[in-house]
Amino acid sequence: MALPSERPEATAALEVRGMTKRFGNLVACADVDLVLRRGEIHGILGENGAGKSTLMRMLIGLALPDAGSIAIDGEPCRIIDPHHAAGRGIGMVHQHYSLVDALTVWENVALGEKEHLDPDATRARIRAISERYGLDVDPDARVRDLTAGVRQRVEIIKCLRHEPRILILDEPTSVLTPAESEQLFSVLKEGVRREGWAVALVSHKLDELLHASDRITIMRDGRVVSHVLTADADAPSLARAMVGRDVNLFSASAAIGVVDEAALAAATDAAKPGLPPVLEITGASVRGADGEILLDGLTVSVAPGEVVGVAGVEGNGQEPLSKVMSSLLALDSGSVRVDGVEVATGRAGAMMHAGVAVIPADRHASGCVMEMSVAENLVLSSIERYTERGVLDRDAIRKRAVELIAEFDVHTPGPETPFGQLSGGNQQRAVLARALSVGPKVLVAVQPTRGLDVGAIEYIGERLQRAAADGIGVLLVSTDLGEIAALAHRIVVIYRGKIIGEMPRAQLDMERLGLLIGGSTGEAA
Amino acid sequence: MSTTDTRPAESRQPFLDERWRTRSEMALLYAASIFGALGLSALMVAMTGNSWQKVFGALLDGAFLAPGRWGNTLTVAMPMLLVALGTVVAVRAGLFNIGQEGQLLMGAMLMAVVGTKMEGPGVLLLIGGMIMGAVAGGAFAGISAVMRYRRGVPEVISTLLMVFVALQLTGFAVITEWFLRDNDPNRPQRAQTSAALDADTHLPEIHIFGNSFSLGVIIAVALAVVVAFVLARTVWGFRFRVLGHNPIVAQKIGIAATRTGSLALFVSGAFAGLAGAMMLVSGSSSYRFTPGFSTNIGWQGLLVALLARSRPIACIPMAVLFAALRTGSGFLASTGVDRKIVDVTQALLVLALLIPPAVAFIRERRRAVAIAAGDRV
Repeated sequence: MALPSERPEATAALEVRGMTKRFGNLVACADVDLVLRRGEIHGILGENGAGKSTLMRMLIGLALPDAGSIAIDGEPCRIIDPHHAAGRGIGMVHQHYSLVDALTVWENVALGEKEHLDPDATRARIRAISERYGLDVDPDARVRDLTAGVRQRVEIIKCLRHEPRILILDEPTSVLTPAESEQLFSVLKEGVRREGWAVALVSHKLDELLHASDRITIMRDGRVVSHVLTADADAPSLARAMVGRDVNLFSASAAIGVVDEAALAAATDAAKPGLPPVLEITGASVRGADGEILLDGLTVSVAPGEVVGVAGVEGNGQEPLSKVMSSLLALDSGSVRVDGVEVATGRAGAMMHAGVAVIPADRHASGCVMEMSVAENLVLSSIERYTERGVLDRDAIRKRAVELIAEFDVHTPGPETPFGQLSGGNQQRAVLARALSVGPKVLVAVQPTRGLDVGAIEYIGERLQRAAADGIGVLLVSTDLGEIAALAHRIVVIYRGKIIGEMPRAQLDMERLGLLIGGSTGEAA
Repeated sequence: MSTTDTRPAESRQPFLDERWRTRSEMALLYAASIFGALGLSALMVAMTGNSWQKVFGALLDGAFLAPGRWGNTLTVAMPMLLVALGTVVAVRAGLFNIGQEGQLLMGAMLMAVVGTKMEGPGVLLLIGGMIMGAVAGGAFAGISAVMRYRRGVPEVISTLLMVFVALQLTGFAVITEWFLRDNDPNRPQRAQTSAALDADTHLPEIHIFGNSFSLGVIIAVALAVVVAFVLARTVWGFRFRVLGHNPIVAQKIGIAATRTGSLALFVSGAFAGLAGAMMLVSGSSSYRFTPGFSTNIGWQGLLVALLARSRPIACIPMAVLFAALRTGSGFLASTGVDRKIVDVTQALLVLALLIPPAVAFIRERRRAVAIAAGDRV
């Protein structure tokens, strides 16, 4: 593989040669070369599953490579665990935060430190870092009261406390509003300019890397497909390199993080007006075990054939909403009506029997049974149809499974394969197949494309639109504005457990939407 | 393993080959672990100055070879198998019932009440008593189900603690005049036991090849087949499995944990209760209910289920193995070795079967660290 021409002015802080990692028969990283330079933000672009995270995990010592070498400042070294990595000046901000909710900011920062605990020194240190990099955080605030953006600042401070020279950020913007993302990038640029950090910014969002990075390394199927200077790159060529074929920036927008407003404007609104809503959620309120507000009078309705997009930053009530629609959570007040009939919330199977199908965000935890077979999972919610006097009709189950596998193009060795052996995209196809196979009236899809590759994302989007065309009311809950903009006829914004704004797609205004999801209703609303 | 495998991914062995190699390696590991446990037991016997050959010979004689012994072993295996089957049902539904010792006592006590206090044709009392025993065991476990689903008390703890309630209750029963105490003034130890069951309420015995064993053995084996079928092939088994693997999905598709989980605990307790009732009508303690009637069968049934890895059919040979150690130990006195050696051997066997998965884990980790440390870079 050809390496990019070295720029003499930027020195290599970290150099990786021939990194390879296999998980069983899956090659997550194959012979990857990468050079991070001082004073540069280096974007690592790739679809979900391209091997970006695995590569970063090897740099930080969370995964051990099968082959390859790492050199820091030109000196070969081996990294076998995160302590080791920290000692060599490598710090990482993870995609999923590792903060303890019940503790304060300074306690979280002090966690895991080996030296004697000194609250005042820790607080002072946090303030110093805050000031230096413009990371505004109160050391005595409780983490549970903080927004996602502030939590990330805490994570970054935790990381900066060790004064790393090489900083790795794994999908840092996935839980941030556009404004918070912008702020993060300016902190990074500042650090790079003043301190000469070498930053690796891992993302599947094209726009973001075009905007914030100096160089981009594109990965696909565990291999590096190219190294480019950001100044020489443009969105279509990056998308092609990332996916391996020409992609429709519109339908694949969720996968590559591009919102093509021209294409959106051209899309016609297909919702049929005038039909009574098939799903009505009215004044839904729920409090959590500690009295915290999960849903706060949320009201939304969906007409048959309509796709309603619920936009918002993660942690604003999407999960409780999904739980209510899955019969996992009972409302304290408010009601859910399906086809005009009120459904008892929180009673096992009540939503399902009322005609609500849910594609949950955490498909591993609540979408399927990993230990059971693909066939059993496909008929899970309609098992009674495949029994005769209590005995399972295995031929009928297998026959139905084979039909669904073909119809939804689920790639599996066979219907008897354990569900856990399927890839993420195929698991999601199977969950979708089950949801649609029972003829639902309402389909609630929560982050249906998270973690999938472009092909699967396009497919799921197409399926959701087809479901709406068949007269199903679709509630699409997503943190990805591109996805919502591409699929929804009408967009509502969820913030702190309630709906704070609404716009039909015809009047889509990405700027106003961005403000709304940050909680600012402003004058425009 | 840590020095090969530098080939590129494309030329590696096909998936199936690799899986068979892993499997045969695991089988070898299991065999080695079991022989290790037996070897260690032999070593301990030798160290106390006795002959391990004689000990193993005596165990084999006591369990199978001496006249009438294997029938005896099967009769002892019967309640262990029943207890294990109940454990398997609960485990499949994601619940850990470890109070079988108490549920078994309750079942046996109810059988004794029906058999000694009620009037009627023997067959009716026999069948009615076994049913009542099963219901008593199930209801006793059901108390734990109520505690779990009403108050969130973990069933692992409540079923265990309920054993002590059962011990007190049954102990009270056999010393109380109006309850179960034997009122025959001619028996000196009558204050400690119930009256003996009449011969017409005994479970028939099967005589074959000079051995005899309880009809209960046939019933227990048949129930193992039924449990295997119900769990794998019926909608109830399906619901148990969904609940056990993923309670969130279960709730979503209408399998209420409260109902299905309680049913699983009830069935689990019922098997233990039935085990107690059948022990009594098969002649344990000379057809009399006594305070220590359960003789650890409930605990050992748990181990049987553990070692069978919750597979109903696999419980059959495991139950026979544990029963053989128990009956075999009766012949140890002639060798001068304390019969407690059998408990040690049992414990070693349990530990031995935990070794192979641990070895596999450690080996994988070592390999990865060795690579990272640069052996192969």
